[in-house]
Amino acid sequence: MSTAIIDIEHVVKRYEMGDEEVYALRDVSLTIGSNEYVAIMGPSGSGKSTLMNMLGCLDTPTSGKYLFNGANVAEMNDDDLASIRNKEIGFVFQTFNLLPRATSLKNVELPLVYAGVSAEERTRRAQEALARVQLSDRMGHKPNELSGGQRQRVAIARAIVTAPSIILADEPTGNLDTKTGHDIMNLFRDLWKAGNTVILVTHEEDIAQHARRIIRLRDGRIESDITNHNHA
Amino acid sequence: MLRLSEFQESARIAWDSLRVNLLRSILTTAGIVVGVVLVVLMGWTIGGLNAVWEQTISIIGKDMLYIDKWDWTGGRNWRDVESRKDISLQQAALLKSRMESAEYVIPLARKWGGSVVKGNSSLMCSITGTTADYANTSAATTLAGRFFSPTEEHSADRVVVIGHGVYKSLYPDGNAVGSILKINGSPFRIIGVLQKQGFLFMDFIDNQVFIPMMAFRAVHGFFDRSFSVGLKCGSEAMLDIVRTEAIGHMRAIRNVPPDAPDDFSINEMKAFDQQAKNIRIGIWVVGMGLTILAFVVGSIGIMNIMYVSVTERTKEIGIRKAIGARRGSILAQFLIESALLCMAGALIAFPIAQGIVAGARFLAVDVLEQEWASVISPLIPLDLLGIAVVVSIIVGLLAGFLPALRASRLDPVEALRYEQ
Ligand SMILES: Nc1ncnc2c1ncn2[C@@H]1O[C@H](COP(=O)(O)OP(=O)(O)OP(=O)(O)O)[C@@H](O)[C@H]1O
Ligand SMILES: [Mg+2]
Repeated sequence: MSTAIIDIEHVVKRYEMGDEEVYALRDVSLTIGSNEYVAIMGPSGSGKSTLMNMLGCLDTPTSGKYLFNGANVAEMNDDDLASIRNKEIGFVFQTFNLLPRATSLKNVELPLVYAGVSAEERTRRAQEALARVQLSDRMGHKPNELSGGQRQRVAIARAIVTAPSIILADEPTGNLDTKTGHDIMNLFRDLWKAGNTVILVTHEEDIAQHARRIIRLRDGRIESDITNHNHA
Repeated sequence: MLRLSEFQESARIAWDSLRVNLLRSILTTAGIVVGVVLVVLMGWTIGGLNAVWEQTISIIGKDMLYIDKWDWTGGRNWRDVESRKDISLQQAALLKSRMESAEYVIPLARKWGGSVVKGNSSLMCSITGTTADYANTSAATTLAGRFFSPTEEHSADRVVVIGHGVYKSLYPDGNAVGSILKINGSPFRIIGVLQKQGFLFMDFIDNQVFIPMMAFRAVHGFFDRSFSVGLKCGSEAMLDIVRTEAIGHMRAIRNVPPDAPDDFSINEMKAFDQQAKNIRIGIWVVGMGLTILAFVVGSIGIMNIMYVSVTERTKEIGIRKAIGARRGSILAQFLIESALLCMAGALIAFPIAQGIVAGARFLAVDVLEQEWASVISPLIPLDLLGIAVVVSIIVGLLAGFLPALRASRLDPVEALRYEQ
């Protein structure tokens, strides 16, 4: 077993809606090691995004323990969490979430800005990351001048530019057609093969089949957690 | 600590956002523009008053002391002053013979509420008899002609040097020198016109004419008259020495018992400093009130627009936080934006204020022909511009603080979910 990057135990996430309580996660325990490739599946509302946000340190559990690389996330303040998101985590969203007025290059540079990297170094590394997603010829384009697949590739370049420990993708192909979706999945596979840890949420069976491990959620609980032997 | 790259990014975003919403930004700064214009105008006005005041007291003479029965400031008890014995010409002459530290000792006889007659028109003014030494004071600087000479003084010639106010009233077309004025029925030939001296509340100084002491005696007499003595000290540094010496002599001459207070006053231009200061304070208080009002209104506008800006960019804030922007970065981004907004207001305000300043000066000097105003600067001083920029930035930071704080505390998950 590889070293654990993520170790959550008995995590609960509860939302208070007036006097009604909504449990997005009820008692989830999970360990994910280095260089794993995990797909999280489950019906709508089962808590997939909540779990991803938690893993990505965008959100903190109501109760339970979360060790990220051995450090207790529950005890961290906002700035510590921001620092982990910046250095250790690369996020890819269903809706891309690029800054609309910035070029591809600037979008990819952004995490490095918050890491305090010098302008020259930023540009160099952003160009490198864009090359890895085959977008060297679109560096000066703004998001609205790119196709959906290209936007998602810019987002992936942004996620990998800081060389994070893990890449988290919440339905990265949800807004793309099947063909483009497969191109994006090939990128994730390449990243995994290059040694990255990849965790993605998906609704689609054939997308999930890319992963080595498939976790299914239902009603905020892990329903099954299996190793996928016939991964693509 | 905010890293340099984050700071640059914040400044860039702020600048972008101002540019994109240019019209809205400009409108928002209206209150700040008014505030900065007021600050600048107030500073300029006070600076101008100082210049005018400086000019007044330097013309009249900062190095002059006047020994008088009367107190210029009216600070002493009126009855005590009233009951003082007159200063006689003999006492003035004794003082003159004893004084050592003063450059000139100049006796003066005054007839308040006298009048001069030119043809059919008569003008109320004060008549001063003095010696030719008066010509050595800065107050005797002439615009035309000259002051009277020792010869004219000794032979009690009927010559007169008129103050600027008298000149303006009686000779609106110029050409006063050589003309004849009647003083108490006697004809006097005008030999000089003094330059303007009194500004602000000191106008009365120009409403004065000077004639030789003995000519004064001939027209108004010395009976029942208290003389003054002007002491020219040569420099401001000498004031204290001359004052001390003069007090000693005067007490001896007038037999003042050792424990009694002086029965005369030593007046100097400084006496009017307080009044000048009060005017300045008045302007400052009114100006400050208006300025603060404008800035308060202005910063409410700025705060409002910054809240709008934060709301509009909730999603962007979420994205930035998701990829690692810390609270401080987001806070800085919005603080810089609002400081830039206010600074833009200051930049808009400068040409407006400069226009008003140039216009006001043009009106005073060229249209209303108030020459005294020409010492006031036609340009806004640079330090005022600096102060205005700093003040506007501070106002921007204060006004932007709450919206920026809200932005920095947004929950990243909520912010990412936000759709416009
Ligand atoms: N901020 C919130 N306030 C209240 N309830 C919330 C909040 N966020 C999520 N939930 C609830 O938590 C549950 C899990 O939501 P989550 O977004 O994790 O589902 P999901 O598995 O990602 O669904 P989908 O496949 O539709 O994206 C849902 O019932 C949702 O209504
Ligand atoms: Mg979801």
